[in-house]
Amino acid sequence: MKVLELKDVHKIYDGSEVPVHAVNGVSLVFQEAEFAAIVGPSGSGKTTLLNLIGGLDKPTSGEIIIDNTNLAKLKSSELIDFRMRNIGFVFQAYNLIPVLTAKENIEFIMSLQKWSRKERDARTFELLKAVGLNDRKNSRPSKLSGGQQQRVAVARALASRPKFILADEPTANLDSKSAANLLEIMQKLNREEKITFIFSTHDARVVKMALRVITLEDGKVISDEAGKTPEQNMI
Amino acid sequence: MIWRIAWKNVWRSRLRSIVVISSVAVGIFAGVFSVAIMTGAINQRVDAALNEEISDIQVTVKGFRINDDPALIINNSEKLMAEIQKTPGVEAVCRRLILHGMANTATASTGVQIVGIDPENEKKVFSMYKKVMEGTGDYFEKETGSNLVLIGQDLAKELDIIRYSIDSTLVADLKAGGASEEIITKLSSIIGLRFSSEALFVKKVKSMLSGDEENKYGPIIIKKAWSYSKNSRLILTFLDKDDNQVEAVFRLAGLYDIKNSVFEKSVVFVKNDNLKKLSGFPVDSYHQLIVKIDDINNTDKITASLKKLLPDYDVLNWKEIQPDLAMMTGMVHLFYGIFMVIILAALAFGIVNTMLMVVLERTKELGMLTAIGMNKKKVFSMIMLESVFMSLIGGIIGMIISWVVIIFTSENGINFSKYAEGFEALGYSAHIYPQIDPLFFLEVAALIILTGILSSVYPARKALRLDPAEALRTE
Repeated sequence: MKVLELKDVHKIYDGSEVPVHAVNGVSLVFQEAEFAAIVGPSGSGKTTLLNLIGGLDKPTSGEIIIDNTNLAKLKSSELIDFRMRNIGFVFQAYNLIPVLTAKENIEFIMSLQKWSRKERDARTFELLKAVGLNDRKNSRPSKLSGGQQQRVAVARALASRPKFILADEPTANLDSKSAANLLEIMQKLNREEKITFIFSTHDARVVKMALRVITLEDGKVISDEAGKTPEQNMI
Repeated sequence: MIWRIAWKNVWRSRLRSIVVISSVAVGIFAGVFSVAIMTGAINQRVDAALNEEISDIQVTVKGFRINDDPALIINNSEKLMAEIQKTPGVEAVCRRLILHGMANTATASTGVQIVGIDPENEKKVFSMYKKVMEGTGDYFEKETGSNLVLIGQDLAKELDIIRYSIDSTLVADLKAGGASEEIITKLSSIIGLRFSSEALFVKKVKSMLSGDEENKYGPIIIKKAWSYSKNSRLILTFLDKDDNQVEAVFRLAGLYDIKNSVFEKSVVFVKNDNLKKLSGFPVDSYHQLIVKIDDINNTDKITASLKKLLPDYDVLNWKEIQPDLAMMTGMVHLFYGIFMVIILAALAFGIVNTMLMVVLERTKELGMLTAIGMNKKKVFSMIMLESVFMSLIGGIIGMIISWVVIIFTSENGINFSKYAEGFEALGYSAHIYPQIDPLFFLEVAALIILTGILSSVYPARKALRLDPAEALRTE
């Protein structure tokens, strides 16, 4: 089932001297439960493409369609609401609200969507267990390691069952053990929750685990290859 | 959830929040306590005016108030008083004879208003009998047969009736208060000497003592060196009902002190019986009927009733007799509001500055919150709540401190005796008992919340203008 489609998407920034064509005619389709990595050298347009998919930026031309909705046609306030309900985010850093505990951070999206206390508690417990942090649920981010913080971020991104999760360099600030741990959890959740993960990454481990690798250069897709099969990808 | 986040965000930078909260607390305390002092001073002035000077309502013949023409007199005063007494809300009525004349002693003279009173009836309307200085007289209590006069302390000074001297009793008091033999020796050349001028006496004492000695013992000396003879007499000169000059000797019935030097210097009280005999005015005729009512809030209503009852007379209440007092009490609430708004506006600049720093420091976090779905309304609410919380905490602390200080000072008073002369020249007591209407705290709380909200507008707008994608890229 298609969850996301990009049709000839362009993003041009009016630079001081020369316009920058950050995304140049990208057309992609993402299916349910995909585990895709967008790779490319610095300046290839990975982060811009992710921002466009996530509705954090608007394309200069083209369409980005999620659940029959063209993001380019939404107003700013509509985009925020759409993101909350349909897209999960895992950032490289500063994912969590520092004054809330791990549990409260995961509940945050659900409380924005006005879930009942009972529903929130049930879902939060489920996710804390899935990411292995039930014993740290009352800890604030400052008391968690980098890897633990990212796991809470993944749990929060999954909390409201979005259409897909965008992860921008999620392992960049982690040591190898934490990174491996995080990727394992994300892969497991991808299989169990059937949620699409789209990564922007330089990390070879992520690329290795991805079922699909999209390579960008100068804002264009220069290759779009299937990686391992899900069975081959199981650790 | 937004409330919880906002509350917790306030304490993220504890020191900074404490600084802002403290500044609000100090500002609110300063504002509220200043208002309490002003309210106390004004209320004391109004109380003094009503209880010692003019009372609630005055009835006179039409035109009397223009220049106190003694020919404009109320006849049948007894009958009128009885009718006035029946009016609902009237507590008591007394009557006065008013003449203008001169008060003379051997060394001084001055113009005065001579007010004839019925001492016992006067007590029901005025509290002047409570203001007679201890040891100076008995307020007409004992009938002696001679003419008696009650004068103000400041008039007594002006007429050189009061003497200043350092006697053996005062020397003993100074020694008991810790004064050394050296100080007594310094003052020895004036011990036993009597000064008729306060200014001269004070000047002499100051010239004999050092600065520190004067600060410590000067006030005691000046307070206790004061004395006057109960047998002191003065001559009152005035015109009788036929415009003939009358001179009569009066013995002092006491000195009154109402902390209003203008009044004290210009008004003397004598018994109506004495003044009638000397002036020849008919028995039942008086210049003023003074009315005391049960509740100041009913002043206008009762005035209207009396005006209807007595259409041929001038019936004026204290607001009409002293419109400056009415203006003060009427407009003072507006002034207090403006005063607090100015204080809060100044505090708001500090809060705006702090919130701008908060938005700047949390740019990336705000970008993340917007990215994951926190809408503009919630971002605005979060920042606004942080501002309101800080303002309110500081405001509540400030109000609690001011409440405690006001309770203490309302019982013990604040002594501005260093400026007593200035205060009393304006009719105000130099010992002020702060007062505050509890409702004022609610009004201040509302202003504080408004300040918190308004202070957050600019920083919140800055936060709303952040582009999430750019904010997330911030280092």
